[in-house]
Amino acid sequence: MAFAMKFNMVDVIVSDSLENCYVNGKRVGFQFDIRLDYYRGQFLSVIEELEVTVNGEKIDTESIRFRLHDKEFGVCQLETCCNEFWRVTEPATIFVRKGGGLPEGEHDIELRLMFRSPYMAIGPNKYMPVDNCGTKKLRVKF
Amino acid sequence: MSNIKIACSLFSFGTPYIQGHMSLEDCIRKAAEIGCEGYEIVAAQMIASYPYVTDEVAGEFARYSDKYGIKPICYAANMDRGLLKGRDLTDDEMLSRAINDIKSAHRLGCGVMRQQYLIGPEAMVRLAPYAEEYGVRVGIEIHNPETPTSPKIMEYREAFDKCGSQYLGFITDFGCFSTKPNKPYWDRALANGAQPEMLDMLAQMRYDEVPQEEATERLLKAGANSAVLGAVASSYGFVQFRREADLEGLKSIIPQNFEFHAKCHYVSEDLEEASIPYDEVLSTIVDSNFDGYVVVEYEDEGGYDSVEMTRRCVAMIKKILNNK
Repeated sequence: MAFAMKFNMVDVIVSDSLENCYVNGKRVGFQFDIRLDYYRGQFLSVIEELEVTVNGEKIDTESIRFRLHDKEFGVCQLETCCNEFWRVTEPATIFVRKGGGLPEGEHDIELRLMFRSPYMAIGPNKYMPVDNCGTKKLRVKF
Repeated sequence: MSNIKIACSLFSFGTPYIQGHMSLEDCIRKAAEIGCEGYEIVAAQMIASYPYVTDEVAGEFARYSDKYGIKPICYAANMDRGLLKGRDLTDDEMLSRAINDIKSAHRLGCGVMRQQYLIGPEAMVRLAPYAEEYGVRVGIEIHNPETPTSPKIMEYREAFDKCGSQYLGFITDFGCFSTKPNKPYWDRALANGAQPEMLDMLAQMRYDEVPQEEATERLLKAGANSAVLGAVASSYGFVQFRREADLEGLKSIIPQNFEFHAKCHYVSEDLEEASIPYDEVLSTIVDSNFDGYVVVEYEDEGGYDSVEMTRRCVAMIKKILNNK
């Protein structure tokens, strides 16, 4: 794999943040919080890849929603979010649509999030890739 | 005669800030406590309403500054030329962002703004009337591997000379004057199993200005492992070092230099920076007509205590200046 910077300043997946979500009394999915693992905040348009795997099962992209500042975006919308700034100290929330949510207990949450550092040019229209991936075992709250 | 004042970049406390061990107020208080007259803000790191400065945020900075007897002196902007997928921002778009940054700097009371070189000389010249209107001097950061006389920087120098505005200039980072391998990078290579004799060989080739490709080839032939090769990339990149600091280059940039970044990666207990010859660099500045801030910027590559490293760097600079 090509070189990517990795900061390891914070845990990407926020502890104690996994919870099931309900709509009209039904469990429709779950959510957890994530952090930017970098020294400064970024506009969401620099996100190049966003994938979620739960207990080894990859979630399809359409079922992933990215929430920040009381707004919600589908993964395909992120690349045009060039005015939405994700602060370096501010968690964002990943919502995953999954009927029934997650059963009681611990779950392996895996996030693949790659972004380009938009001021570190490494060629014409090429920027330093940053690895903002993380994994964590979290107990789900109901 | 020079008039050197000491500040620090709040970026120096970035790690504890991001990890939640220090608040914005803590960072400003610490900067004052360790003996700084002013502080620099990396906007995309610590401004809650970035990329704008709201009244609330401006009020917060002003309140803490008054409380601790310190002032904001520089707004460090980023130039996110790669903001959009698939194409670089145009000059017009970069200019628009920079105009906004000038307004933010002004709103916070910063007289200097750090700009990054992805915005070209032409767009910088177009920025001059705005810089003048708001009274914010905009300096292109000269950061290792660039130097005050490298070709990319010379393009700006020529454009600024031609433009003639006193509001366009530079912020030179002392990292440009490194004369020894960077300690945290070297330590990391050793921790990853780099052969010490191979690192010595690499340092020697760097001093002899052996091109990177040839250096890599020679090291491979000598049996260097991947940890050594990792150190090659940094030694020829952001933490380059040379046999001698380019003090002539430093002298030549001073008339256009608004502030300095006093870079440190590691300052020992007896106040020596591991790779930058502070004594020589500061002597050169003392002997010039420079009037402005030397801004300490601790770059956390080695996982040292951020506050302690920043404190030592401030103390080191004061000690050197007091002995002049």
